[in-house]
Amino acid sequence: MTTTACFIIVSRNDIPIYEAEVGSAAKREDAAQLPQFILQAALDIVQDLAWTTSAMFLKAIDKFNDLVVSVYVTADHIRFMLLLDSRSDDGIKSFFQEVHELYIKSLLNPLYLPGSRITS
Amino acid sequence: MRSTFGPNDCQLLCINSSQDGQTRHKDTPWSTFRSDALATEHLGRFLKLDVLNEIKNLMQELSSKHIIPYMEQKIRLLNQQVSSTRKGFRNQFKNLWWRKGKEDALDTTNGPVYTFSSIESQIRVLGDYAFMLRDYELAVSSYRLISTDYKLDKAWKRYAGVQEMIGLTYFMLDQSRKEAEYCMENAFNTYLKLGSAVQQNATRCGLWWIEMLKTRNQIKEAATVYFRICGEDLLHSAVMLEQASFCYLLSKPPMLHKYGFHLVLSGDHYKKCDQIKHAIRTYRNAVSVYRGTTWNLIKDRVHFHIGQWYASLGMYDVAVTHMLEILASSHQSKTSQELFLRDFLHIVQKTGKTFEVLKLQLPVINISSLKVIFEDHRTYASPAAASIKEGVWRSLEEDMIPSLFAKSNWLDVQSKLIPRKYKESNICVAGEANSSNVEPQNDEYKTSTSTGDINSSLVLSEVDFSLEGGETILVQLTVTPRVEGILTIVGVKWKLSSSVVGLHNFESNSVNKRIAKGRRKPKHSPSADLKFIVIKSLPRLQGFIPSLPEKTYAGDLRHLVLELNNQSKFPVKNLKMKISNPRFLNAGNQSYLNVEFSACLEKKLNVEQSGGHANAKKMLQNVFHFPEDISVQEETSLSWPLWFHAAVPGNISLYITVYYEMENVSSIMKFRTLRMHYNLQVLPSLDVSFELSPCPSRLEEFLLRMDVVNKTSSECFQIHQLSSVGQQWDVSLLQPVDSILPSQSLFAGQVLSCFFMLKYHRKSSTSEDSNPLFLQSDVRLGPPGNSEALFDVCSSPLADFHDYERLYQGMSCQGNVDFVFITQLWRGNIDSGAPHRPLLFSHHVCHCSLSSFSPISWFVDGPRTIQHNFSASPCGVNLKMTINNSSDAASSVHVKTFDPPSSNSQSIDATASQSGLPLENQVGWFSIPAVNDTKVITTDALAKRITKSVSLESAPQFIWTGSSSTKLKLQPRATAEVPLQICVFAPGIYDLSNYALNWNLAPIEESQGEANKSSGECQGYPYYLTVLQST
Repeated sequence: MTTTACFIIVSRNDIPIYEAEVGSAAKREDAAQLPQFILQAALDIVQDLAWTTSAMFLKAIDKFNDLVVSVYVTADHIRFMLLLDSRSDDGIKSFFQEVHELYIKSLLNPLYLPGSRITS
Repeated sequence: MRSTFGPNDCQLLCINSSQDGQTRHKDTPWSTFRSDALATEHLGRFLKLDVLNEIKNLMQELSSKHIIPYMEQKIRLLNQQVSSTRKGFRNQFKNLWWRKGKEDALDTTNGPVYTFSSIESQIRVLGDYAFMLRDYELAVSSYRLISTDYKLDKAWKRYAGVQEMIGLTYFMLDQSRKEAEYCMENAFNTYLKLGSAVQQNATRCGLWWIEMLKTRNQIKEAATVYFRICGEDLLHSAVMLEQASFCYLLSKPPMLHKYGFHLVLSGDHYKKCDQIKHAIRTYRNAVSVYRGTTWNLIKDRVHFHIGQWYASLGMYDVAVTHMLEILASSHQSKTSQELFLRDFLHIVQKTGKTFEVLKLQLPVINISSLKVIFEDHRTYASPAAASIKEGVWRSLEEDMIPSLFAKSNWLDVQSKLIPRKYKESNICVAGEANSSNVEPQNDEYKTSTSTGDINSSLVLSEVDFSLEGGETILVQLTVTPRVEGILTIVGVKWKLSSSVVGLHNFESNSVNKRIAKGRRKPKHSPSADLKFIVIKSLPRLQGFIPSLPEKTYAGDLRHLVLELNNQSKFPVKNLKMKISNPRFLNAGNQSYLNVEFSACLEKKLNVEQSGGHANAKKMLQNVFHFPEDISVQEETSLSWPLWFHAAVPGNISLYITVYYEMENVSSIMKFRTLRMHYNLQVLPSLDVSFELSPCPSRLEEFLLRMDVVNKTSSECFQIHQLSSVGQQWDVSLLQPVDSILPSQSLFAGQVLSCFFMLKYHRKSSTSEDSNPLFLQSDVRLGPPGNSEALFDVCSSPLADFHDYERLYQGMSCQGNVDFVFITQLWRGNIDSGAPHRPLLFSHHVCHCSLSSFSPISWFVDGPRTIQHNFSASPCGVNLKMTINNSSDAASSVHVKTFDPPSSNSQSIDATASQSGLPLENQVGWFSIPAVNDTKVITTDALAKRITKSVSLESAPQFIWTGSSSTKLKLQPRATAEVPLQICVFAPGIYDLSNYALNWNLAPIEESQGEANKSSGECQGYPYYLTVLQST
């Protein structure tokens, strides 16, 4: 599988509020929902792990075949989930921090209702 | 037997069947060992109790007395053997030594082959015995002993097996869990490394491991192990994944997401190995997890697959319910939507039923484009006419409709619930627009309307149409009520691919609804717009113009027929018609109805000229009144001639309104209008331009240059005639047409320039009968032998159109000339309406201005050559100057003559005019080019120079006699003559141009835009006089 990345922001109620899929892979029709499945399945593990550590970045918490799920949990339990087929913790961590900043910015938008879908 | 085996080894077991199997045992003999053995199974029902006991005793005796001692003995033996070979320092050392040598000999990929009698095998057997006899310590030690050996020998399979056993033993010992797990993982990994050949072993090992984990409540880990067991075998991995999912479900806390995910995975695997029922079972479980999820892709996937699989099993009803779940979502990509929809339709078709799908907004109806078109007193000839803005029609009908009706809007009336206004039928147009990502290709939608209140006696229309993906079409649906009452339009219903019924209610979301007609009061609810009062039927005219071309060339002149059809039972009368663009379309006279086209245009000798013009004045008001006695009777039709002239190129919209009144109908609606709308495209054909320049030597004669460019791409026009409109102008050709254009036809792209002489024909003072036939206002340009009559530009259609052209092309001011240039096109390939007949084209060019020059023109007349004996006396020559005032204002003209330049202090004006220098640039004294210098230079024999020099030389040799300045007043359009006299002293050629005319226009009361000069000065133009010495 070629390089692919799927990024999802999951709200407190396990509702995805932002989805982005980056990747050069020519996806097959039946593989389109695989990242969602994997990421959703990883929610369980996040649930377990999130309260065991004080760090927001949970590193790679789950993997499916060669796809690795990295999760970053914000203070209000918004989860940034990134599905990658290669792992470089530092890069992912800085990415998450950047996303976190952006997410906070969007939270500051008075018109944005927390937990609703982020459109941009 | 006893004799052969010895009495100690043999025992007798008597088994007698009991009668009828009636013997009941309290419990199965296995109940103590197997908890899940079912009590209902009557095991051994045919055995007596004591027989059973006997069997039990026998087996216990066998195992305790014989098998276990045998095994113990075996263990002892093996242990002795092993300890003799492998235990102790010496043996270890020897073993190492020996093993080294062995390594070189056998080095296959699978490790060395161990025979049963080899020491490793013996140790393994020892371990197994010990394990069976629950001597786990011994088992572990022996297994460990050989595991290192196997590892060193790279006998991986055996190594893995031993590791597995170690793990199990540790588990049985229930100490050091880590160790056990480590061993199991080691074994499992080793098996996996060995590949598919030992898949079964791996599975067994994994299952052991899982059981271990399960007993220790590490169910999550067990699930991961299940997941790892999955191999290439689909069914195998499907089962394993399902087991894994159950593990996730059982784990604490239950990991539902993982459960669902693994269920879906296993379902996919089941599907891949055609176990559809199993697949559905797993998916159904997964659905319960994913129900209500907002992870849309997951939901789509699950429902879609279930639906598909149910369909493949033939359970279409269930399939449809699942498919419905995924249809209405908007987030899907186009391809997946198409896929879903296609499958859905496929399934629905298989069910053979029609479903009402309210969720599926397909096709999407663009509610803002919804228009309800109804006809009250306004009727429309075509749907296209109905879509024209009301304002266009209103402005057109302004002066035709009685004001009472024009003001009152029937909607206002209706809101007061006074059923005064009537309508016969309404048409509701459901503008069906389809958003680009919803439409599958080549699906056929069948649409039908449904309306509310009146159930019977309604005629609803059904429209079949198919929509391509992303296509937007406009669908017209009509409702025709048959009885009087109230009609409400509720919504539109459609059938998708003849199976899925969709419904769109106009009421529910009619925020942006617009009603096409009428000013709507703000308080109107939309539902009021969809409510109609139906009254009894009224006459309704239908009108159309059958042969109106859609595409034509500019200048095309045609004869068309308007057909009005009355299909009702009442006659209509008092017809009026108004045409929005009279430049293009004109009502003709009824007498033209049946005449042959183009023949009627030809000039007739005794045609009355003035009739056309008087008619035109009337026509300018744009309303055409049909004669009073014309009425359209019931179920008849009326034809009326129309003239069509494509005036300018472009896309032209023609609006025609016909007003009519009902006879003997006692309704309030006394009149109706019929609105017709036509669009036509006019292509540029010929570009005709005229240029007029005054003829210098003649008064009131002009040189006319006509430039014609054929702008079409392929057409070939045959030029026919050029006419000037009005009776004051006389056109004649300067040279025959043959010399300019031998073929008489203009091919595509050809340019033609033609020169004509235009003469102003002054009406004689007795202007009663200036016979137009003597006036050559038409010039035939066709082939000389052509005997075709010229077309009469002064008769009805041409003159009418010409009047409109005049109106459009500019302001009408006197003194300008209008031309009509007529050509013919023989090939009727524009719209093949009349292929045998030439198409007639007329090009009207109006207001060719004569006012580019000054309003005063003059002409000096006199003898050109005089013979005179100068020895006797100086010669006096009388000249006559005719001055014409062509303007509308009275003017005073001042004729000044200058003395020849060198005679006295010459006037600056004359010099300036001669040297061509502008007067304004010269201030004060300046050097005048000396006449002598000029003379020196101009010794060469250039004729012109000579004349000039001669004239200069001889300049002092004539003087103006008579009054040097004459003033006279000229009335508008008057001519005056001024006598002039010169005196010549010597023979020679004289240029009598040294005079000037100052003219001054008296201001006219209302300055009617004549913004050109009100005064001016003209230099005289050369007039050469040759004076010869007579002998």
